[in-house]
Amino acid sequence: MLSPSRFQLVWLLLTRMTFRHWRSKGGHYILLIGIVAVGVGAFNGIRQASRSASENFGLFNQAVSGQSDFLIESPVQRLLEADLVKLSTLGLDPDWHLVPVIEGSVTAVKTGGVDKKQLRLIGLDLLALGNLPTLAQESLRFSDEDANWYDWLGHENEVWVGQKLADQLRVGVGDNITFLASGRLAKMKVRMILNDPDGNLPDDLVLGDLPTVQSLLSRPGELNRVEVVINQLDRREDTAYLGNIEKRLNQLLPVNLSLSPTQNRAADRSAMTAAFRLNLTILSLIAILVGAYLILQALDAAVVRRRAEIATLRSLGVDGSVLFATYLMEAFVLGLVGSIAGVGVGQVLALGAVSMLADTVNALYFATSVEALTLTSLDVIVGLVLGLLFSMLAGWLPARDATQTPPAQVLARGDWSPGFSWLRKPKVGIGLLVLGGVALLFPPFVMQAGSNMPVGGFLAAGCWIFGSALLSGHVLVLLAGWVRPFCMGPVARLACSRLRDGSSRHRLAVAGLVVAVSMVTGMFQMIDSFRGTIEEWFDVRFQADLYISESGVTGAGSVNGIDPKLMDELLKDPNIKYADVMRICYAKPPKGVTVLAGVDLEHWRDRARQIWLKMPGSLKVVDGAEPALVSETFARRFGVLSGGVVELETPVGRKRVSPLGIFCDYGNEFGMAAISAKVWTDWTGSNRPINVSLFLKDLSKLQETRDRLRIAYPGLDIRNERELRDVALGIFEQTFQATNALSLIGLAVAFAGLLLGLFSIFDESTQTWQTLKHLGFSTSRFVLAAGLEGAGIGVAAWVAGSITGLALGWLLVFVINVQSFGWTLLWTVPVESILWFGALLTGVGLFSGVISATYWNFRRR
Amino acid sequence: MMAFLNDHLKNKQKVALHVSGATKSFGKVDVLKGIDLKILAGERVALMGPSGSGKSTLLNCVCGIELLDGGTIHVGGQELSGLKRGELEKVRRENMGYVFQSFHLLPTLNAFENVEFAAQLVGMPKEQRIEKVTELFEQVGLSHRMDHLPNALSGGERQRVAIARALVHQPRLVLADEPTGSLDTESGNQVLTLLKTLSADLQVALLLVTHDHDSTRICDRVITMKDGTLLAS
Repeated sequence: MLSPSRFQLVWLLLTRMTFRHWRSKGGHYILLIGIVAVGVGAFNGIRQASRSASENFGLFNQAVSGQSDFLIESPVQRLLEADLVKLSTLGLDPDWHLVPVIEGSVTAVKTGGVDKKQLRLIGLDLLALGNLPTLAQESLRFSDEDANWYDWLGHENEVWVGQKLADQLRVGVGDNITFLASGRLAKMKVRMILNDPDGNLPDDLVLGDLPTVQSLLSRPGELNRVEVVINQLDRREDTAYLGNIEKRLNQLLPVNLSLSPTQNRAADRSAMTAAFRLNLTILSLIAILVGAYLILQALDAAVVRRRAEIATLRSLGVDGSVLFATYLMEAFVLGLVGSIAGVGVGQVLALGAVSMLADTVNALYFATSVEALTLTSLDVIVGLVLGLLFSMLAGWLPARDATQTPPAQVLARGDWSPGFSWLRKPKVGIGLLVLGGVALLFPPFVMQAGSNMPVGGFLAAGCWIFGSALLSGHVLVLLAGWVRPFCMGPVARLACSRLRDGSSRHRLAVAGLVVAVSMVTGMFQMIDSFRGTIEEWFDVRFQADLYISESGVTGAGSVNGIDPKLMDELLKDPNIKYADVMRICYAKPPKGVTVLAGVDLEHWRDRARQIWLKMPGSLKVVDGAEPALVSETFARRFGVLSGGVVELETPVGRKRVSPLGIFCDYGNEFGMAAISAKVWTDWTGSNRPINVSLFLKDLSKLQETRDRLRIAYPGLDIRNERELRDVALGIFEQTFQATNALSLIGLAVAFAGLLLGLFSIFDESTQTWQTLKHLGFSTSRFVLAAGLEGAGIGVAAWVAGSITGLALGWLLVFVINVQSFGWTLLWTVPVESILWFGALLTGVGLFSGVISATYWNFRRR
Repeated sequence: MMAFLNDHLKNKQKVALHVSGATKSFGKVDVLKGIDLKILAGERVALMGPSGSGKSTLLNCVCGIELLDGGTIHVGGQELSGLKRGELEKVRRENMGYVFQSFHLLPTLNAFENVEFAAQLVGMPKEQRIEKVTELFEQVGLSHRMDHLPNALSGGERQRVAIARALVHQPRLVLADEPTGSLDTESGNQVLTLLKTLSADLQVALLLVTHDHDSTRICDRVITMKDGTLLAS
């Protein structure tokens, strides 16, 4: 006879036993598959949603004509008509077409059934567009009815919208869309609804003729960029040809403008949100991780439940490696089915998360809108691989535990708990804590847009969390030892003695909770520290009486600004004593982007209140460089905390700024350098303000002035300090929505893990309970003892988790935040929340113990 | 001379279990103190003795679950000491059958599959397996209960299935640890009769561990163990 191969044996065990167990506990395994699906789905969903929310800044060419090849831009992303004149020779070349584009964010208000909707208004030179070689090939057509395409131009204020947008706003041809742009309330008339049978057009796109859009945005003579489309479309993949075209374009390009392949722009924008997306990815990985923890607990419970069966197999001569492979295969199958289901779950979760994330991106980075969610094959592969990897990692320990089961001859002697003996050894835990400390020495990784990724900080966090989880069993034993002398009754003594004994499964249950508790406690501190710091910053920094900005646009990058004429008009208000006008634009440092602001530098330096990291004048301005007050983020990013020079590209060439003081600022993570308004205008050729802070003569007329300005300028947001604070804190809360949601998922899973862990503990102690029953231990006493055991686990997890959480809080505030964003936060420890959390954990532990013991008892009957 | 050698080899092949000078200690407690035991193919030997006398340890050593401190154990001519864990498991799988007091049937498999499973573990071809299992079920008188799950069988029936499982792969040695301990008298008698008949028919050696003198009636020899030594043979 030929012995069957190990694979055949594994297959035999899987089909004859494992899957039959699945069948007899169908609901249980469907739940497990569901857990993997939710974990993988959360990861995939957040991945898709963040991509959809942060990468939808599609260029005109992506939306309409398919593809442009190059972009001509200025360093501040604004071109003037003078620039276009300089490009006139470039436009004569027959090998390419130039398409000038203006783009702006506007807010449609009270149109159709929609109260407010952010729109992307794009202005094009339609005459140039008519010559585009690609247009004829596209399925998109402007209209069948217009025999003469010159009719596209229409009249002033007339625009085209896609069918989807028309449906959303419930507008038809000839209807008006009321909108806010550059501080003005205006109307645009729908001239045509674009025929878009394939649904290629985004639902926020509004197209218009170039002069029309310039007028609608109150930005006469301005452009955002010029797109270059090559004539020979069949040579688009020919890199040599494209290289030659790029070379020729560069030769003819004015010095103040830059040329780049179109795809670079997508990469630039993508890089801007890379840190944000990476943070989200890490958070969403936690969803898979906690899912894996549940799988571990469930498979471990299965091993305990099937212990007698495993022992019989051992006595029949089934060797450990076959058992190991069988249990690992079980985890594999769970992971595979769960991950496949997770792809579908991810789609559903993405639908729910995408608008939330789009709001955050809008608030923090640039104007965006939700684009159709796309599921790529890479998403599917990444989801599957992660689901399988984590499931198999989770299955590893129970599989190993199964191999340690002795043959039935030995097992029959009593309770058996070989379990995770390494949890009893403190070496690995201590090693991880030390390794975390060493990881702090790693410098941050500099990303494409100049943002920093605190690799060492994240590594340290991981090491500390897992190290303390491994050590938490010792805390449990220690605490139980302290409490034991005070336990008088038999129930308390029994519970305490079992905790003092600290079986591997007790330790595993505490470890799982510690991971969740420490993360949540750390997050509590970071969010509270952040909130506290911002409130403090508001108290100091915002001393003006009224704050005015463009209405509807919230994104830090949506710099339409306020129409200068409107601003001049507004500043004539008789109650204004002083107006601190601010202008901003993006500027290009050697790496990434930053913000260059034009302000009343004298006022900022001498009168405006700031939280100063370095007082103005404490830093020596480098000769020949423009003096600037820079934010802490700017100073840290460009290494000028002790003074120095940073070179920035401007439309008038490279300019040098040198800090004379450093202030704390929590507005953006790209940093800001504030120079005098006059120099800013010289460098950028613009005078468009982004906002203004008003100091009033007569404060008793504050509300009256605000209301008067609001009526006169409906396109502007006019707020007092309290209202501005509410808006800012609203954005703040928005930013932490995803974090809070994932923390809640983590906690819920940890509690589910505790329940499963307690089941295993009781299953494994069957003989003990039987003995106690014979000794007259009643069911209610058993349930109470189990409740106390659960509560003890909760308390130990709270103590160990809170200590680790405090360390994590420190890490988040002083290392990860500083390295990621360059922000110094005031560390706040929310003692009250932590205490409440402890009470909650104890209560939930008690409840879990009671529930699991009741169910266990019921099942045994 | 040649005839002597042939006889010697023949006898050697017939020895199912040979324990020689077996010693085993747990800490300072000597549990086996130089045990010598030989069981021939088809022979039935009862092992008796009070609790703590070392019966279970001896049985575990014979199974290869515990390792001896000194001495040797041969099962079907193969010495266990020096074998690796996987090799010991192979010996257990192919050369031994085990009947437990509490049956230890696999709960997800029906009676037929429980017996078939042991045959599958040693790679018995399907046709032969089915034929053998069916035949054994006829012999143990459970042909009508083959497709029942263990929890649908009585204690006596379960033990009969366990006996069939222990014999299906035609081992050299069956170890039966209190096989009637969990059964009523009538079922116990049926099980004992079955063990006697099948071990004789299949020429399988049987080492029966029991506290019950009545059970020893099916055995050819009774050995008593006390304080780690064999008192009588």
